[in-house]
Formats: sequence, C-alpha cells, structure tokens
Amino acid sequence: MEVIECRDVSFSYPANGLPNGEKQDSGALKHISCTIEDGTFVLLCGASGCGKTTMTRLFNGLIPHYHEGVYDGSVFLDGKDTREMTLFDISLKVGSVFQNPRSQFFNVDTTSELAFGPENHGMAEDIVRERVSHVAAQLKLEPLLDRSIFSLSGGEKQKIACGSAAAVDPDIYVLDEPSSNLDTYAIADFRLLLSALKAQGKTVIISEHRLYYLSGLFDRVLYLKDGKIEGDYTAEEFCGLPAGQRETMGLRPLDLAGLSELEGQPQRGNGDVWTITDFSFAYKHEPETLHIEKAIFPSGGATAIIGHNGAGKSTFARCLCGLEKRCRGMVRDGSRTYSRKERLKLCYMVMQDVNHQLFTESVLDEILLSMKNEDKQRAREILDGMDLLPYEDCHPMGLSGGQKQRVAVASAIASDRPLILFDEPTSGLDLFHMRQVAGVVNQVADAGKTALVVTHDPEFILRCCNYVLHLENGQIQESYSIEDSEGRKHLLNFFLNDTAQAALSGDCTAIHLVEKEVSTK
Amino acid sequence: MNNKLQGKDLINIGIFTAIYFIVIFAAASIGFIPIFIPLISVIVPLVGGIPMMLFFSKIKKFGMLTICGVLLGIIMLLTGMGYWCIPTGLIFGLISDFMLKSCDYKNAKRGVLTHGVFSMWVIGAFIPIVVTRDAYYQSLLPGYGQEYADTLMAYMPDWILPVLLVASFVSGLVGGLIGRKIFKKHFERAGIV
Amino acid sequence: MNRELLASQKESSGIVLDPRTKLAVLITVAVFILGGSYEGMMQYYIIVLAAIPLLLLLAAKKWKGSILYIVIFSGSLCLEMFGLSRLTGVANYIAVAIVGILLRFTPSVVMGYFVVTTTTVSEFVAAMERLHLPQQITIPMSVMFRFFPTVAEEWSAIGDAMRMRGVRFGGGKAGAILEYRMVPMMICSVKIGEELSQAALTRGLGGPVKRTNICKLGFHAQDILFLLICIGAFAAQIYVLAVRG
Repeated sequence: MEVIECRDVSFSYPANGLPNGEKQDSGALKHISCTIEDGTFVLLCGASGCGKTTMTRLFNGLIPHYHEGVYDGSVFLDGKDTREMTLFDISLKVGSVFQNPRSQFFNVDTTSELAFGPENHGMAEDIVRERVSHVAAQLKLEPLLDRSIFSLSGGEKQKIACGSAAAVDPDIYVLDEPSSNLDTYAIADFRLLLSALKAQGKTVIISEHRLYYLSGLFDRVLYLKDGKIEGDYTAEEFCGLPAGQRETMGLRPLDLAGLSELEGQPQRGNGDVWTITDFSFAYKHEPETLHIEKAIFPSGGATAIIGHNGAGKSTFARCLCGLEKRCRGMVRDGSRTYSRKERLKLCYMVMQDVNHQLFTESVLDEILLSMKNEDKQRAREILDGMDLLPYEDCHPMGLSGGQKQRVAVASAIASDRPLILFDEPTSGLDLFHMRQVAGVVNQVADAGKTALVVTHDPEFILRCCNYVLHLENGQIQESYSIEDSEGRKHLLNFFLNDTAQAALSGDCTAIHLVEKEVSTK
Repeated sequence: MNNKLQGKDLINIGIFTAIYFIVIFAAASIGFIPIFIPLISVIVPLVGGIPMMLFFSKIKKFGMLTICGVLLGIIMLLTGMGYWCIPTGLIFGLISDFMLKSCDYKNAKRGVLTHGVFSMWVIGAFIPIVVTRDAYYQSLLPGYGQEYADTLMAYMPDWILPVLLVASFVSGLVGGLIGRKIFKKHFERAGIV
Repeated sequence: MNRELLASQKESSGIVLDPRTKLAVLITVAVFILGGSYEGMMQYYIIVLAAIPLLLLLAAKKWKGSILYIVIFSGSLCLEMFGLSRLTGVANYIAVAIVGILLRFTPSVVMGYFVVTTTTVSEFVAAMERLHLPQQITIPMSVMFRFFPTVAEEWSAIGDAMRMRGVRFGGGKAGAILEYRMVPMMICSVKIGEELSQAALTRGLGGPVKRTNICKLGFHAQDILFLLICIGAFAAQIYVLAVRG
C-alpha cells in the first residue's frame, strides 16, 4: 500500500532579495512525482541544494504549512492532500528528526521532550507516561531519561529526538541529515536505532550525505539533482553502481574501506615542530578534562585532531587558542614559548558555527578587521584567492554556509597568524563542499601556515592532512604521520573499528564510555 | 489570514522575549550598584531597541507584545524585582499592540514610537522604590525624627516617577532609532527578515 | 555552566515545595518587604517573612547564598539602626538609598534565587497551567526558559570569537563592540528559533486540543504551612489597616 504520493509537485522558496544569486534557486523542486510504499526505507541523496531537505518538508507538512513559497501539485498522505490537513493532523502520522541536535528540543529535560508530542495531542497523563516508558524501552533510551538536554552529547540528542518523534507512534519517519553533527561511533549507534524502526515496519525517509552507515538499511534510493528525481534505484541497483559513478553523482562513499585508495598529501613544512608540554585543563570543582604531557605536531602542513566525542578535542583547540583562562601549559615553536595571552594572537580558529565570528556589515570589512594595518589591496587579493571577490560588498551573514566559512578563513589569513584551527569544518557537507573545504585547508598549509583540523571525517582528513593527533580521555593516545600509506591505513582502521564496535555492543550507554582500547593493529 | 495567534507566533514571542531579556539584563547589570538604579530606565530602552525592532518586523498579529510584556513581568518577579512589572508590562504591551495594529504592522516610524511606549514597562521596577518610600521613611521616624525624614523626602521627590517614565519613553525612541539603523544595516541585508 | 534561569534537571532542594507555593511566598515577600509595610505588628511579621528564604536556602544546603544573605541583610539592618545618623550630606543620602534598597530587595531577590534554582522548567510551566494561565502565555513561557541557556551560549561563543579576533573595548569603539556582539547573537538566535519552531510544530504544538502535562504537582504539609504564613501576612496587614481606620 502506498502511504505517500507526490503528484507533479513543484516548490520554490521566496526570493529574499539577497545579493548573491546562488541561493535563489537552491532547494527548489520541479515536477516531482513519486509514490512511496508502506514500510519502505527510502534514502534521499544528492548534492547540497538539490532539494532533499525540501522533499522532507513536503512529507512532514512544513510545506505548505510553515515555509512560504510557490507551491504546485499535491502531496497525499494515506490518500489525503496535505493541504487539507493541519500540521497538527500530520504530526500524528509523520514524525520528524532534524539536522541540528541543538535546536530541535522544545523542553530542557529529556523526559519532558519524549512526552512533548503526546502532551500536545492532549493524551491523558497516564497514557503519556506509558508512551514515554514504552518508547524508552523500545529504543533503549532509559539511561537518558530525566537528564538535562544541555548535558547530552550530539549523538544522545539525536536519539532523544527520534524517541520524541516515536512517542506519538507515527507510521512515517522523516529524517533530515540526522548524522551531520555526530562522530563515527555515535553514527553507528544511531544506525541501530534506525534499524529498530525498520524492524517495526515503519516507513522511513532519510535525507543524508553520509551514506556508509545506511547501507543494508535502505530499500530504495531517490537521487535528486537540481530539484528533480534523476534516479530511482532499489538497494541492489544502487549498491551495484560502479563506485566511480556515485562519485560523479556527487555522493559520498557507501563504504569507508574504499578510502584506502586515496593518495596521501605531499610532504610539507621544513621539519620544524610545535611542541606542547604539560597542557592541562579542568572546569571549576571538576576533575581534569585535558591532560597532555607532551604533544608534537609539524610546523607547516595540516594536522588532524581526532578522537571520540568527549575526548577533549574542542577543549584542546580552545586551550591552544588561549581562550581558556584555566588552562596551564606551554606552547613552543623552534625559537620561543608562547603564553596564554600571546596565543590569542598566535592562533585563529575557524569555528564550527562560523556565524559566531562574522561581525561586520560587508565581507571586505570583515577582512580589514582582521588586519593589523588595514590594506584594501591585500584584502582584495586574499578574497580573490578564496573566490570571494564578487561578494566583497555583501553582508557576510547573507552568504551561503560555504561562503561564510571561506570568509572566516580569509580573515584568518589576513590576520597573518601562523596557526589556523578548524573546528569540525565539514559537518553536514556534501562531497563537493567537503572537497572544497579540503582545498581551502590545503591552500592554508601550502602557504606555509600550520593548519589544525578537529574532525570526524576520514575522507576529509585523507584529502588534506599530513599528520594525526589522536586524543582520548583528554590525553594524546597516539600521533602519526599519514604521508605514508601505513599511517593512512592506521587512520582508516580507527574509523572502521569504531563502526564495528558500536554494532557489536548495541548498547546506548556505551556512547558515553567509549572503549578506549580499540585495537588499531 | 487567521488572526488568532498560532504556534509559530507563540514560539516567536518566547524567543524574542528571551533575547530581549538577556540583552537588557546584561546592560542593566550596572544597576547592581544601587545608586545607578535610576539609570536603568534609560539604559534598558536604549539597548532594547535592537532586538525589539527585529521582533516588530515579525509581528503581524495582535497580542504578541501584550504577552511579551506579561512574560517580562513574570521574569522580573522571579528575579526578585516584585510583581509591579506584570501590570506595567501588560498595559504598555497592550498599548503597543494597538499602535502597531493601527498601522497594519507596516510603518517603520510607528515602530520606533511603539518602542518608546513599550519601553515604559520598566517603570514597574521603580514603583516599589518610589511609591512606597513614604512607608520606609516613616519607619525611620522613631529613631531619627520628622525633620530628618522630610529632608530625605526632598532627595526623592514625588515627581521622580513621571520623570523616569518620560526618560524611559525618550530613550525608548532613541533605542528604537538605533534598532532601526541596525535593522537596515544588518538584519535586512543578512536575509533573516 | 549555570546559565539557566530555571533548572533543567531536578536536584534535591531540601524542603520540597510546590511551585505555586514558592510563587505565593515570592509574591508575599514582594508585597510586604519590597512594598515596605512597617506599621505595628507588621514590623515583626516582616522578620518572619525575611527568614523564609534563609530557611529554604539552608535546607537546600546552599551555604554560600545563605551566608551572603545573612551578611547583606543583617549588615544593612545594623547600618540603618546605628550608622545612618552619623553620616551627613551626600554620604548620608547615598547610605540611606543603599540601605533602603538592600533591605527591601534582598529577601525578594534571594527568594527569587531559590525559586529559579530549585524549580524545573517543566514544573514551573505545569504550575502555570494549573493556575489556568492560557496557552498563549504558557507556550511562549516554556520557549523563553528553554531559550535562555541557548542565547547565553551564543553570547559566550561570540565573546570568544571577539577575543580571538582581538576585538576589544577601547579606542572609542564601544558602539561598534556592542554591535559586533549583538548582531551575530541575534542572527544566530533567530535561526535557532526558526528550527525550534519547525521541530515543535511537527510534534503537534499549538493544536486545537488542550495540552496535558505529565509533571506531578501537589500540595503537602509543608506547602500548607508556608501558605498559612503568607495568608497570615495579609491578615495581619488588614488588621493593621483596620485598626488605623
């Protein structure tokens, strides 16, 4: 039986008068027709802006009931036109999970969040309680009950988001890039939850860039390009496509092991190193979250900082930049030692949410703000190097995500600092944009600066990094060069093992206490 | 269009009230030094204009500012500033709602004026200090005598409340203008409107 | 990491009170101490009221807050009784103002502090629903409490970025600094807010039925005791007014 039917649907978002033309057409859909059968697991894939997210919004009713725009055609849920239903009606049939774990919670504690849907539908209190405990048991969420959402990791948040959707027991689940902010272990764990939904015979529609964790789950793949369905495959057909073809379609690999064929980066740097000694950090009244006796990474070239969520990667980056006043320790290059305050002027961090670091009213001003002595000529050169010159007068916040990130990198370059850090620069990016960021990191490293990249993305590391620092429990577990194939294999093993470990344990408490001794040999 | 407040509108009220309160709270921290307290009536409207002018651009229905005012009153109660901001928030919110409605939510100049009026809710925070000061001075009487209490009254005369009210209105207008400027300079061009 | 205005997670709070009781105490304290009733027997009743926040703080083992409260309150009281007459001129005016404000506001602020640190958002919103506040107020209220920590997070992240980029106060750029900080914060908050709206609406918020709430609330013996104290305060005030005629 078909649960969803799209009949010649077109949708475009209103043009909001932004100066850069790129966004106008992005996400629009053109004459989409398809039916989705009851109980199928459908993967929506395609490059950014192809309309994946817009498709999910058709199914969960946000189009036409939330997003305004030009909408033609009809979408039917169980034979009913979504136009004639309210979001409230649709919410009983369709459960939604979104990309950003930070913004999809209405409540501040997990139990209330699970109860939120049933409460909105006015179910009696004892029924709501029963639903909550039922869902918690089914999706193995019990250890997360009665917690503050501000204390959860990204992976835990996404699981609660799923649980919250499941609490009203909808037939259809619509997920929009739920893995964007998760590490490999959390992703593997999240997969277990998805397979639980599949086992219940639910219809699942998931839009994703990272495909590897979904293989074996999806029954059908819809490939979108420029707002049209360009390919409609069964799982066998899709997996049977030659790998090269998926790549030309702009899709990420189905299997991480295939990455071992990627070539390493050329040797960079002049043999000098940065040395970090006795680095430690603790929040007030809490045990140390970071304790590094000694860490060395090459000066010049790009170094990846890997490790599980909670390993202390971000804390490390913040300490290095001198942002944490409570951090002790020394940072040295060949000639001198830098104090915490000096490090504020030594390092430049491109933050995960670049919106936090763009202050001015035009792209050019943003670059000038970073310069010690304002030099428009030089600023324009830098912008040109980042393909941003046409946007020099635009408001930085009005640009697309990738462009904003490049503005931040450009201002980092303009600041003329030797160390440039990137905090999770590729979360939620498709193949094309991920490679573009890799290109930017390469550009920074080739210019003789030292790039440090905090990331979960193995392909991205292989495309731009020379060296790896692996943190676990606030300590350096190991560090190695990936210029040679031995090191690259070692790196991939770390990510592959992670996936296997989560699948084996099948236990959601494990997310917090990730096994440290993952054998990497 | 449906004129009843929908889920989306209610959520917007919550979000902007939170932003507004954090902004004014940060700015009003100066009032923790007690003698600067009267300055709050000037500072709050001045900085509050930036979030409020953005909020106004999202308002298309009646009642959103009234609810915002009441919520502000409730937080003020929770932060120990008494309950007087609940009625003042309600009254000035309601007037502001009428003002925006009368121009069909389109007139930017009216927005600035509305912000001036809305800002007067802060007077609720001064009512306990000013209106009940008689009682306080009376309580000092046994120990210090009438003459002393009279001298004190002169320091904080009866007309202080209207003066503060006017001050908050005027700086609300200035804050509205600043907010309008920032709105054009940033929010419009950043495409979040 | 305490940036919440109401708690998100339940902690033991010593004397467990219904949020409605806490609100009643808060309002009573505001009416009589902040409002300044010092006539007749009220001056003694006020001492009782001022002691309530202290009792609650001590029971909740909030030692720092308790000590601070004792020091500020008794300090101002001593100053009022013995110190004010020795000062003259401007110093006297400032002292009177400070003492007056501290004496009146501290109990109320401390009671507020107790309420916001021992009540969870769910409890508070449930209490508001029980008090028959309409959804038009309770829904924005939950969003608001949900959003305080988020806005505060954005605020501090932007502060970090400013430090890193070397954007600082000074050089007559105070206006620009304020702009640099407020504008990204608001843009980010608005975006998060949009996403929050979508998530909430797809979970059925704002439907035509009345929401239920699984949060358990109820009055116990201790609630009744505190409520009686509150009622007593009003009764005493009425009596005082009646006697005065």
